[in-house]
Amino acid sequence: MDLPRLEAILSRYEGESWDLIPVLQDIQDAYSYLPKDELQVVSERLNVPMTQIYSVATFFKMFSLLPKGKHQIKVCLGTTCHLRGGGRVVESLSHRLGVEVGYTTKDMQFSLETVGCLGSCAQAPVMMVDDKYFGRSTVDKVPKILKLYK
Amino acid sequence: MVNLTIDGRAIQAPKGKTILEVADANGIFIPRLCYHPALKPIGACRICVVEVKPGPPRPIPACATPVTEGMEVNTTSERLQQIRDELMKLVLINHAMECPICDKGGECELQDLTHALAVEKVDLEAVKLAPNPDYESLFVERHPDRCVTCGRCVHICRDHVGAMGINFMQRGYFTELGSGALPLDCEFCGSCIDICPVGALINKLWKYRARAWEVEKTETACPFCGGGCTYELHTRDGRILRVRNEESILLCSRGRFGFPVVEAPDRLKTPLIKENSNFREATWDEALDLVAAKFKEIAESAGPNAIYGVGSARATNEANYLFQKFFRQGLGSNQLDNPGRYTYIQALRGLAAVFGAPQVSGVEAATTPPQPYQSPLTPGEGAQGSGFPFVLGHFEDLPKADLALVLGADVTPEMPPLGWKLLRALDNENFRLVLANPRGTKFDRYAHLSLRYKPGTERILLAGLFKAFLAANPDWTPAVSAKGLEDFKESFKKVTLKDVAAKTGVDETLIQETAALLAQAQAPAIICGTELLAQDKGEQNALALADLFLLIGKPGTPGSALYPVAEKNNTRGVCEAGVMAEHLPGYGHLEKAARGLPLPEMLDKLEAKDEAAPQALYLLGGDLLRMVPHRSRTEKLLKKVPFLVVQDAFLTDTAKLAQVVLPVAVHAEQEGTFISSDGTLGVLAQALSTNGVRPDWQIIGQLGERLGYKLGASHPKQIFRELAKTSPLWAGLGPKGSYPLMPGEVTGTFVPFEVDLSLPGRRPYTLIVGKALNHSGSFTTHGPEGTLKVTPRAEMLINPDDAKNLGLTDGDPAKITSSQGEISAPVVLAPEMPPGVVFLPEHFAAPPVHLLTLNSNLVRVTIQKG
Ligand code: SF4
Ligand code: SF4
Ligand code: SF4
Ligand code: FES
Ligand code: FES
Repeated sequence: MDLPRLEAILSRYEGESWDLIPVLQDIQDAYSYLPKDELQVVSERLNVPMTQIYSVATFFKMFSLLPKGKHQIKVCLGTTCHLRGGGRVVESLSHRLGVEVGYTTKDMQFSLETVGCLGSCAQAPVMMVDDKYFGRSTVDKVPKILKLYK
Repeated sequence: MVNLTIDGRAIQAPKGKTILEVADANGIFIPRLCYHPALKPIGACRICVVEVKPGPPRPIPACATPVTEGMEVNTTSERLQQIRDELMKLVLINHAMECPICDKGGECELQDLTHALAVEKVDLEAVKLAPNPDYESLFVERHPDRCVTCGRCVHICRDHVGAMGINFMQRGYFTELGSGALPLDCEFCGSCIDICPVGALINKLWKYRARAWEVEKTETACPFCGGGCTYELHTRDGRILRVRNEESILLCSRGRFGFPVVEAPDRLKTPLIKENSNFREATWDEALDLVAAKFKEIAESAGPNAIYGVGSARATNEANYLFQKFFRQGLGSNQLDNPGRYTYIQALRGLAAVFGAPQVSGVEAATTPPQPYQSPLTPGEGAQGSGFPFVLGHFEDLPKADLALVLGADVTPEMPPLGWKLLRALDNENFRLVLANPRGTKFDRYAHLSLRYKPGTERILLAGLFKAFLAANPDWTPAVSAKGLEDFKESFKKVTLKDVAAKTGVDETLIQETAALLAQAQAPAIICGTELLAQDKGEQNALALADLFLLIGKPGTPGSALYPVAEKNNTRGVCEAGVMAEHLPGYGHLEKAARGLPLPEMLDKLEAKDEAAPQALYLLGGDLLRMVPHRSRTEKLLKKVPFLVVQDAFLTDTAKLAQVVLPVAVHAEQEGTFISSDGTLGVLAQALSTNGVRPDWQIIGQLGERLGYKLGASHPKQIFRELAKTSPLWAGLGPKGSYPLMPGEVTGTFVPFEVDLSLPGRRPYTLIVGKALNHSGSFTTHGPEGTLKVTPRAEMLINPDDAKNLGLTDGDPAKITSSQGEISAPVVLAPEMPPGVVFLPEHFAAPPVHLLTLNSNLVRVTIQKG
């Protein structure tokens, strides 16, 4: 475990139990997931039981307990995208990358997840890779989009 | 009182009760799922909805709504039935229908409710959730797909156990009961299992062994600590299958999962006689004849004082009473004591010095016909008492305290019920918890102040506390009549807070803050543990605490009391039954000249080859080698005793030194009583047959018969009556009752205590020898299927930085050396340990930690890798 890295995060807070969510956010940002050993230290420092941490970590979608890939793929399954074939896009991605929704490819390149409305319904179906939006991302466009990141 | 109607019936109910409670009390059934009488209303399931006028238009949960004047409650309208039907369907949508193989079958509240509400089919469809069962964890098997997310388990674990071992994960429809990482890492008390309305949490020891309706239930007292829990043994075909507490549900891990020791493979089944330094099996007659003949020979040649008796905190009051009768009436000597001498008796002596010996007046013979295990005495009108028993608290009252000072106690491992009650006290937002302990313990999470002092400096800390208190409150008068305050104040003349802070490591301001809290408290309680009492000057520690209570205590105010931990199931009873060198039963007075030797002095006599050294020892259980400091010395001395008789269920390290070992019945195999740490009478009922072993009282009686003593040992009930007759303090006491039952007139005298450090020596680390949560003495270390699974060995807790400096990581063996000896134990990195302090539990045969100690549970040690 990289203790100094974690200490740098913890030092920004008072060590009170109500600091839990911001601390987890910082860890998530720095590590792109919440590693178990780090959570154990957080539990000791903030005096919050592990089960409480897991409860919070699984409640909010922004947290992940598994390491994330280099690129985060988010496919919109909001109402419009759902109607316009978002589900098929997910299937195709899942098939091509060989990974289930919510997981990361073995080579740690891509994480695949689904999200609610991304606010660009006019472009439906919509997907995102990292910070970039891809509108009208139908199944046939999937290989091209992936190629940009391989 | 409040007037209301439920379904048209006019009802009067006490204020503050909920609609559900009032309905229950009046025989009106409102369906419910998440409600449990042992918990505060959770309000999660909404099955209990009712319509209320005047009130909101929508139905409201009966379990969480208090009754009000003029309320009209409807529990059965069509709308309500529809809502319940819908809710039940939602609950059942994902509920695995495995009733035929689910262990909850026959006692499942969902089964019952589905039946009661006649939910015929579930015509809803939804995404199936993954079952995610947990078969890995110890004792608790989890089936989230049977969970109805009522929240009971989460609440009992968080609010009553204080462990927070489980919680809800995910959210909304996907909410699932989980523990985060697998397997479960918690206290393994199993309380969540028994509060679960369905089969989502399963007791692994019970699983597939019987259906709920096939067992026989016997209410009995728990033998695994002085907490005094009463529980039900569920047995079938002569075996215990599980243990439950139907009332509060709460039990600790030992209580719920400790029972397999009864069937431990190493239990003794027949008497053993040593021949040519090897044991051979013997018949009862052979063994008893031999012991009787030997005792007779020694008593005749060397006098009755040459036989020394050690009573047992494990054995019943009846056995211990008969044991002292064997010595006092039979042999005619007072040469007996009990191992509480190293812990609890220290507390008694300190308390008695300040508050006086017990005195009771106005007690009469009861006129009611004798009931089993009911004292034949009763407090008459105007009955009164005085002395230290009247400052000892009942657990039930602890939540009424508004402050608790916990000194040198790791509350939960030492006495789980004290922890449960502290959590109840914490419900009151004005309650203040002050924890003083050399190391971090579970209750630090809840403490308002934590004083982390250096081990052995407790009396210096207390002196600082007195100093700060008296400086801030120079004109303070104690709540009860107290003598000697001025002289007592004088004794702190040389104490300075600065010096105290330097020696104890506790900040001056923290000491002052504590003093301020103590001065404000209207009902302060003081809790102290075995770790404090087991020190060489345990009596001085107790004395200092007794002084403190005399200063700040409010005796007579519920909750304001002293709570010294009486560790074992009958630590308190063995003293009250008279197995003490200086007391007759019921703390009866014994002239100084007539008193026997206390246990440590008897050992000294053995060492000095003194004339007064005993030639025979009769031990009523209790593994002295494993529990008494300086093991190598104890072993050497016990080996010197020409004739050693041990009564025990196991061939303990001490029993191995004996010439004759007599196998005894354990709790579930006999009748009798215990006195818990808070003075509650626990009654044992026999649930299993003895299979060749015998209850202690019977063995003592049979030995007495052979020696021609008239001990009158016909049955525990009769022995109890005789004992209770000698104990006016117990007047009015009956099963599950707590004494004293008469008002007490508390007065006291301040007695200066020694303000010195309890820990000489130069080695760099201080070792604390203490208790582990999952063990009770050495008793629980025998059953491989019981709590030994959770804590299978002694591990040394050490601060991670210390470990790093020593080149040690988790699991590495460490060599621990003191001036008395050397042992090896694996280490566990524990951030709750301060630098320089390490901890080892004492329960285990290996490593024998008391090889390191000298005259205290604290010892300085050197630690090396290896
Ligand atoms: S066994 Fe006890 S400590 Fe563990 S999760 Fe259940 S209630 Fe909590
Ligand atoms: S496991 Fe049992 S007690 Fe816990 S929430 Fe589920 S149904 Fe309720
Ligand atoms: S707290 Fe003590 S008495 Fe109660 S179940 Fe546990 S060991 Fe038994
Ligand atoms: S539904 Fe996909 S962007 Fe709105
Ligand atoms: S029983 Fe009232 S809400 Fe569950």
